[in-house]
Amino acid sequence: MLLIGLVLLPFLASIACAAMPNTARSATAWLSGLTALGGCVLLALAAPGVFSGEIFRISMPWFANVNFGFRMDGLAWAFALIICAIGALVVLYAHYYLSPDDPAARFFAFLMAFMGAMLGVVLADNLILLVVFWEMTSVSSFLLIGYWTHRSDARQGARMALTVTAMGGLCLLGGVILLGQITGSYSLDIVLGAGEAVHASPLYPVVLVLVLLGAFTKSAQFPFHFWLPHAMAAPTPVSAYLHSATMVKCGVFLLARLYPTLGGSDLWFYMVSGTGLFTMTFGAAVAIFQQDLKGLLAYSTISHLGLITFLFGLDSPLAVVAGLFHILNHATFKASLFMAAGIIDHETGSRDMRQLNGLWQFMPITATLAMVASASMAGVVLMNGFLSKEMFFAQAVELDSHHLIEMIVPIVATVAAALGVTYSLRLIHDVFFNGQPVGLTKTPHEPPRWLRVPVEVLVVVCIVVGVIPQWTVGPVLAAMVQGTLGMRPEYSLAIWHGVNFPLVMSVIAGTAGILFYFGLQRYINLHSVTRLPVSGKHAFDAVVGWVETLARKVVGWLPSTSLPRNLACLVATAFVAMAWPLWQNGFGSAPPRAATDVLTVPPLVGLLIWLLGVAAAIAVTINYRQRLTALVMLGAAGLAVSVTFVLFSAPDLALTQLLVEVATIALMMIVLHFLPQTSPVERGTARKLRDAGIAGVAGLGLAAVAYAVLTRPFTSIAPFYLAHALPDGGGTNVVNLILVDFRAFDTMGEVAVLGAAGLLVYALLAGFHVHFDHHDADIAEDWNPLLLRTVTRVVLPLAALVAAFLFLRGHNLPGGGFIAGLVLACAILVLRIGGGGRTILDPAHLPYQPWIAGGLVMVLATGIGSMVLGYPFLTSTFAHPVLPVIGEVPLASAALFDLGVFMIVVAATMLATISPALLPQDHDAETQA
Amino acid sequence: MTMLPDHWLVMPIMLPLLAAALLLFVERVRPAWQPFLSLAMTLVLAGLACRFVVMTHANFIGVYLLGNWAAPFGIVLVLDRLAALMLALTAVIALASLVASWRLARRGPHFHAFFQLQLAGLNGAFLTGDVFNLFVFFEVLLIASYALMLHNAGGRTLRAGLHYVVINLVSASLFLVSASLLYGVAGTLNFADLAVKLPALPAWDAGLARAAALLLLVVFAVKAALLPLGFWLPETYGSAPGPVAALFAIMTKVGIYAIFRVYFTVFGGGEGVLAGLGSPALFAVGMATIVFGAFGALATKRLIALVAYLVLISSGTLIVASTLGPVALGGALYYLVHTTLTVAALFLVAHAIAEQRGPRADRLGSGPPLPQPVLVGLLFLVTAAAAAGLPPLSGFIGKVLMLQGSGRAPLATWFWAAVLGSGLLATVALARAGGSVFWKTHGVAVGAPMPAGDRLGLAVLAVAGLLWIAGANSASQYTAATAQQLAQPQSYVDAVMRQVPVKLPARSPH
Amino acid sequence: MTEVFFASAIGVFTACGVWLMLRARTFDVALGLALFSYAVNLFIFAMGRLTFGAPAIVGQGGATATLADPLPQALVLTAIVIAFAMTALVLTLALKGRFVNRGDACDADDETRIEDSPR
Repeated sequence: MLLIGLVLLPFLASIACAAMPNTARSATAWLSGLTALGGCVLLALAAPGVFSGEIFRISMPWFANVNFGFRMDGLAWAFALIICAIGALVVLYAHYYLSPDDPAARFFAFLMAFMGAMLGVVLADNLILLVVFWEMTSVSSFLLIGYWTHRSDARQGARMALTVTAMGGLCLLGGVILLGQITGSYSLDIVLGAGEAVHASPLYPVVLVLVLLGAFTKSAQFPFHFWLPHAMAAPTPVSAYLHSATMVKCGVFLLARLYPTLGGSDLWFYMVSGTGLFTMTFGAAVAIFQQDLKGLLAYSTISHLGLITFLFGLDSPLAVVAGLFHILNHATFKASLFMAAGIIDHETGSRDMRQLNGLWQFMPITATLAMVASASMAGVVLMNGFLSKEMFFAQAVELDSHHLIEMIVPIVATVAAALGVTYSLRLIHDVFFNGQPVGLTKTPHEPPRWLRVPVEVLVVVCIVVGVIPQWTVGPVLAAMVQGTLGMRPEYSLAIWHGVNFPLVMSVIAGTAGILFYFGLQRYINLHSVTRLPVSGKHAFDAVVGWVETLARKVVGWLPSTSLPRNLACLVATAFVAMAWPLWQNGFGSAPPRAATDVLTVPPLVGLLIWLLGVAAAIAVTINYRQRLTALVMLGAAGLAVSVTFVLFSAPDLALTQLLVEVATIALMMIVLHFLPQTSPVERGTARKLRDAGIAGVAGLGLAAVAYAVLTRPFTSIAPFYLAHALPDGGGTNVVNLILVDFRAFDTMGEVAVLGAAGLLVYALLAGFHVHFDHHDADIAEDWNPLLLRTVTRVVLPLAALVAAFLFLRGHNLPGGGFIAGLVLACAILVLRIGGGGRTILDPAHLPYQPWIAGGLVMVLATGIGSMVLGYPFLTSTFAHPVLPVIGEVPLASAALFDLGVFMIVVAATMLATISPALLPQDHDAETQA
Repeated sequence: MTMLPDHWLVMPIMLPLLAAALLLFVERVRPAWQPFLSLAMTLVLAGLACRFVVMTHANFIGVYLLGNWAAPFGIVLVLDRLAALMLALTAVIALASLVASWRLARRGPHFHAFFQLQLAGLNGAFLTGDVFNLFVFFEVLLIASYALMLHNAGGRTLRAGLHYVVINLVSASLFLVSASLLYGVAGTLNFADLAVKLPALPAWDAGLARAAALLLLVVFAVKAALLPLGFWLPETYGSAPGPVAALFAIMTKVGIYAIFRVYFTVFGGGEGVLAGLGSPALFAVGMATIVFGAFGALATKRLIALVAYLVLISSGTLIVASTLGPVALGGALYYLVHTTLTVAALFLVAHAIAEQRGPRADRLGSGPPLPQPVLVGLLFLVTAAAAAGLPPLSGFIGKVLMLQGSGRAPLATWFWAAVLGSGLLATVALARAGGSVFWKTHGVAVGAPMPAGDRLGLAVLAVAGLLWIAGANSASQYTAATAQQLAQPQSYVDAVMRQVPVKLPARSPH
Repeated sequence: MTEVFFASAIGVFTACGVWLMLRARTFDVALGLALFSYAVNLFIFAMGRLTFGAPAIVGQGGATATLADPLPQALVLTAIVIAFAMTALVLTLALKGRFVNRGDACDADDETRIEDSPR
């Protein structure tokens, strides 16, 4: 419960702050501060338990094998304490730091969200949850760095930080899931105990690399360090809190947390310690040459994180102790230094050390505080920094490994320490002494009381811990060690261990650092160093830029807005999809169809139809630019198709095809009236050839498949329909039976589509005015006679023929709704094209929509009727069923169904054809002006 | 004994159709009533969907013989876990889209009728157990989607709409080819019957059967916007009105659903002559889609197009995950629901932003500040984080489920790289977009505040999304069971083939 | 032999249809779609194999075994009607687009490939 509260409180505070107006500065600050202090109180309550080695737990299932739970041991407790305590100080500091026109509510909302996420990271009881909060810290850090949204460096820094840390987070996620698969669980209790299994697994190296990528990106280890200096665009409270004390510690926290599981292998040693050692030295060296105060502190943070990383890499419990201790110390002195830097920035309006000189005389108190903190950073005796640095030296000396390494490491360590002394010295000397300030916008003075209090508190901690470590930090450290290692190795926090290697190294480092600084000042003026030789930012920008250009190239190269190219893609893919398996398996050697099935067609008839169709199709293709001609040819092709249907015993098909043909051609003619009569000539033989190629293979492919199917034996469900049509369907025309009974559901959907199409055409053209301007010379001025000639010649006899054929067939079924409807529609269409009935046919006067609706209702009603009678939807009851209660009723549901179909077909066809035909049009040229 | 057929199954198709018809009448007499009738019907559908989810929870598979003809001779409706899940998802998206389109609907005729027709088409596609009937319902939902997209459309939308229509027309023709070819070799159209007959085909039919099967997958790949058939999507979705684009979030999932349905249920994951069909192709195509989507998201200069590219990423992810075993499929189904909800919400937010930025619309880069920076900013932050798969939102959960489900599958490494990499690129793209919209501002706010309809729609999606996260435990269990059911199609086949028609009374000859 | 003719017809219709589909003008694309739909209808029909002079009309004596397969015919009927609906839609879009977008080009990328691009 305590744990839930600990994590949830900040989030609640965050929501509350977000809800408040930005003017409620003190309210939000108070709320946030109290939240942080509340956290401290909760932790204090838990302290006795934690010190006695108890582990607090609470957990509930979340999804799959991932729990939503928290777990607090010594390590988590100490981190939580840092987060809450420094959090409280930062809130206080920020309240006085932010200028009145900064949106305070947003700041504190983000800050509290971060605090909650950070507590979640350290308290999570399983690795997935840890990643969850881990990524949340990245996001909140993004939002906080970009807090001053008007500054482009803030926006860029925020994006860079998010990109790098999010990448690390994703790698961590991958590693964690693999870890879970090895150990069978994500729960820390299990994972921490599964060290052997993990080391034994073949996946161990992968897991290690992925997890370390997560840790190193977050803790700004080389080569991922570069985002941290750019994160300094954030308001100083953020830098002090996220980017020195807490968030950047996530990485080293993870190293400590997973040390029992992943640590203790050579791979671990080389990767972690190597990276740490290099980062430590590199960061310290670069820090010296910074001109931006916060930049110096950023690189020094990188360096110290490197130190901690190095210690965790060594396979010795005492090194872990040293690392944990340094985490505590660094959090205190670095946070105080950042706050001091912020004060200087706040009171002088500059962070540039080329301008900031001799501030001692203006702000002695701040200066003193800063000097103490820097001394601790440099590792001066009687400061907390000294103790952990001595431990670090000791570990560097006692390291047992390859003798070459044993020789190099202590030297590198000393060098790094010396560089640390150098930049600490520069910070003090350059800012507070070394002449007079240069070109400051305002005269510096001490800050308001409360802006300095947090610094004072932290500095006091530095000293007290430095002087009497055993009684202050002792138990905390002990708890941390216990939580991390599960045991407590022998170590002493005494200040004086007598003259030993570490002490000697400290002395060397100190003197060397001092000499180096003044040497530098003498021989090269540090202020003259403008830009650094190495810059991670450039590399980062290069990579990002490269990816973006690649993306643009790829996307630009692929077709997105070109319909022809998309269609080509589609047809080609379809061809490959069919050709590939046929290439693999072949068409197979099927036995020929039984002799009875092989059909005998009068050769001459067949040949003629074939010639008609093929010739017409080719004619359309060749003459497509002469659109009217092409249209007539298309009609001929359609005619051939329908005759083919007649020939191969599909009369209904033939009729429908013929009628739809008429309607389509007529519609095309109507539309063509509004379009150019010819298509433009196309350039580019290559493209035509390509299209011809695609078309050719498509045709060949489909023909081959059709032939293959036509010539092989066949067993299908068809006999069922032939057998049951009469006895159970009450009809003889089986095709019609299938439409209105066996598969009436298809027909229902089909008429719905047809009706919708009619409505859509109407909706598209409703209230649409056509303006012909002088450019449209190619449009026939008066088109009716033309269409009258062409269409009526085709349509009238056809309509008559169809009616006659229908009549002659006279099957006993409730007629083909489609066919009847189409006949009627075509007849009206002809009437319209003949020039008559403009007004009566106008959808505005003649409501077609209700016809469609009514037809649909009727179709559905038949279905519902059968449901009422207790049968499934659309059960056809053709006969005179004897029903309970009602008795015998004459009922032909299929007839009603077909009536509905009929209505929809007529109305939809009319809407689709008449709407364009009746478009209001005017031929004035002015409309274009 | 004759048991009454369970009419529930036909309701999600019949009711919206009826509503569509009635709405056409209402539109003429009481236009103001349309939205309420439409809303009521959508709520009814939501209720039905919930009932179905409960029904199918105990692995119950409902079968409905339309026209009282036994399978495979008539058309059957089948309700299994997957269908129920999709129906529920459709209902939620529809609800959000409908309330959000309150104003849009007034700008032209027949909007609500088409909306209901759309729902009928979607539900039909999810419920039908017959390949040709699936074609019919595809056409129903497509014609409705054309109508909604072109609702009071301008020039750009008209052009994009034409592309959309023609491409779907061609793919419909290909659908007919493959469906009829399946009939030509196997002699049946019923899913279950095909599942029985296809594997048993003689060896000489293997080539044709496989060709038909692959072509069917291609057709569905067009709907799911998988490469190289998905290039049309960004332009189409990018130019559709906001609420319609939100509704379209479910449209690509229809393609995904169809692929799952035929690939697992009909092709039995590849038995007999269909052994090893499609899986490698699907994997490769899915990977390509992810990459293209991620690149597009990074390259595009418009916020709404960016969202459309995220749709591509999710399609690819779902397809790839489905080829990595049932456990990963379970994760993919969880992810499917998440991505549909999220993308729908993101479309609404993106359009709200575009409206609030006045002439700058959704172009990325410096523009005027928004009148409601806090509300819209928060909405964007949350939806974007969810879409990018950042914790603690459902995208993260879905990815974790898929990753740990894909386990040690040989190709899993690539999948991991694709999922994590695309997640990173999406994060970068969205961060940049958000930065330029909310941070890089100048001048004074020009736009109007967010209309109530949009807020309500977003609220619906938000509630659904939060439930999906909070209830992740039972949700992931349901999807896992769904994947299992899908991986073992035998129960589906048995349920369909054993369903007996209702006894008809003896007919009096006349 | 008949099969050869039938299949070849399907092939020709498909090829012509596809080629026209890939043109840059909406109306031409519509022509192509129409031709392609003929090919597809013939293809569907062919899947029930070819039967000569035996329509699927029962109840006039004679063995039902030799009758034409009715199912593909029903499918073709549905396909024809849907194709008509869609063609009407495409044509309407061509019509409206011609006046809204000043031209019935359906290929935003490739305007350049047209020499005398009419309005």
